[in-house]
Amino acid sequence: MRHSLSLGLALAWFALGPGSAAAADPPSLTVFAAADLTFAFKEIAPRFEKATGARVALVFGSTGNFAHQIRQGGPADVFFAADQSFVEDLIAEGVLLRETRTLYAQGRIVLATARAFGPKLTELRSLLDPRVRHVAIANPVHAPYGRAAEQALRRAGLWEALRPKLVFGENIRHTLQFVQAGAAEAGIVALSVANVPEVDWVPIDAAMHAPLDQAAAIVRRSPRPELGLAFIQFVNGPDGRPIMKRFGFMLPGEF
Amino acid sequence: MDSFPIWLSLRVALSATTLTLLTGVPIAWLLARKRFAGRNALEAVVVLPLVLPPTVLGYYLLVVIGYRGPIGRALAALGLELAFTPGAAVLAACVGSIALVIKSAQAGFETVDGQLEQAARTLGRSEWSVFWNVTLPLAWRSVLAGTVLAFCRGLGEFGITLMVAGNIPGRTQTLPLAIYDRVQANQMGEANALALVAVGIVVVLLFGLSRFARLRY
Repeated sequence: MRHSLSLGLALAWFALGPGSAAAADPPSLTVFAAADLTFAFKEIAPRFEKATGARVALVFGSTGNFAHQIRQGGPADVFFAADQSFVEDLIAEGVLLRETRTLYAQGRIVLATARAFGPKLTELRSLLDPRVRHVAIANPVHAPYGRAAEQALRRAGLWEALRPKLVFGENIRHTLQFVQAGAAEAGIVALSVANVPEVDWVPIDAAMHAPLDQAAAIVRRSPRPELGLAFIQFVNGPDGRPIMKRFGFMLPGEF
Repeated sequence: MDSFPIWLSLRVALSATTLTLLTGVPIAWLLARKRFAGRNALEAVVVLPLVLPPTVLGYYLLVVIGYRGPIGRALAALGLELAFTPGAAVLAACVGSIALVIKSAQAGFETVDGQLEQAARTLGRSEWSVFWNVTLPLAWRSVLAGTVLAFCRGLGEFGITLMVAGNIPGRTQTLPLAIYDRVQANQMGEANALALVAVGIVVVLLFGLSRFARLRY
């Protein structure tokens, strides 16, 4: 037994001990970005690295989670929220720098149909079809694209009728996965993530929901605000814009 | 394939298992052998991490260890930072798995015949010696079972880690977070490969342990 104890302590030393080959150098810029930016930012970040020589660590997730983490000292330099209201709140709390707040895109929603389902749905009304048993949307309580989906369905007068069919994803990528997997025959997701082989989609009129204005800002505790600002400008500039556009975002100056 | 999450997860799970053993076994012994004020409360608190959803637990934990929280501020005064470091991932794995060590070990200690311990005491053994030479050897299978469960839980810990350590590639992205991240990014091939590694680690571990257990007894 005493041998086991010393063995345990040796293991602990190995595991807790400082400096191993596995510990990588900290990347120079950490970006917390909403899940709908996953595909676009994975293309933009390498170009920014090439242009500036800086390293970028991309962390994707739920805007709400990120807001909580940044409030508690999360090591982000830049925060790209899927909804500007989160950025406004954090600015009011003094966590983000007001003068760095930048509108970088407007999100669009689409009606997505699982290819496995067969007929491609072209209007919201066809969600009533009894063969569509589940409709995936992001959770409208906290996910911006879920809120937009709810508004669009209410506007179309379908919300009450569709309620029993609705399944909620945690974020927009999660919602799309319900449709990708065929677990939901259809769903309402962000255009920016909708281009996957398993899914067909048609755009939903932007007038059906309140604008999905997306804002970014620099975190006050960031030790390198200039680099963060350079990244925001890169996304909004001649390098980032065509990529953002290709992934279905409307850009500042276009809406 | 990026191997960083694999090494990080192994280190985190090993550290967390060691820490949960060092703290969990004494607590299990207390619960099994001693009657004291607040024992029932302690018994309830111990299983709390199994009741609360991990993300919710992580949310509260972050409020406490974040740079504005009481523990976060105390650590900052010492020049230390826990939130969003690999240390936070270790803490998350400990919180998620300590109940498994405590409950298994407690059940093991409770089945040890008190008369044997009593006999050792009449022969002049100290409490410490009774524990190491009588109680623990008789209950070691339960302790080992709890340890294995804790290691597996620590290796697979997701929700608490996501909140308190973040999901920062190359820094705090553990194996489960890396798998989730790849799925989110629609990189299913890499996600599957990493999942296979996770399963492989546990299979090898369990196989090795069952051989070890047979050799010993």
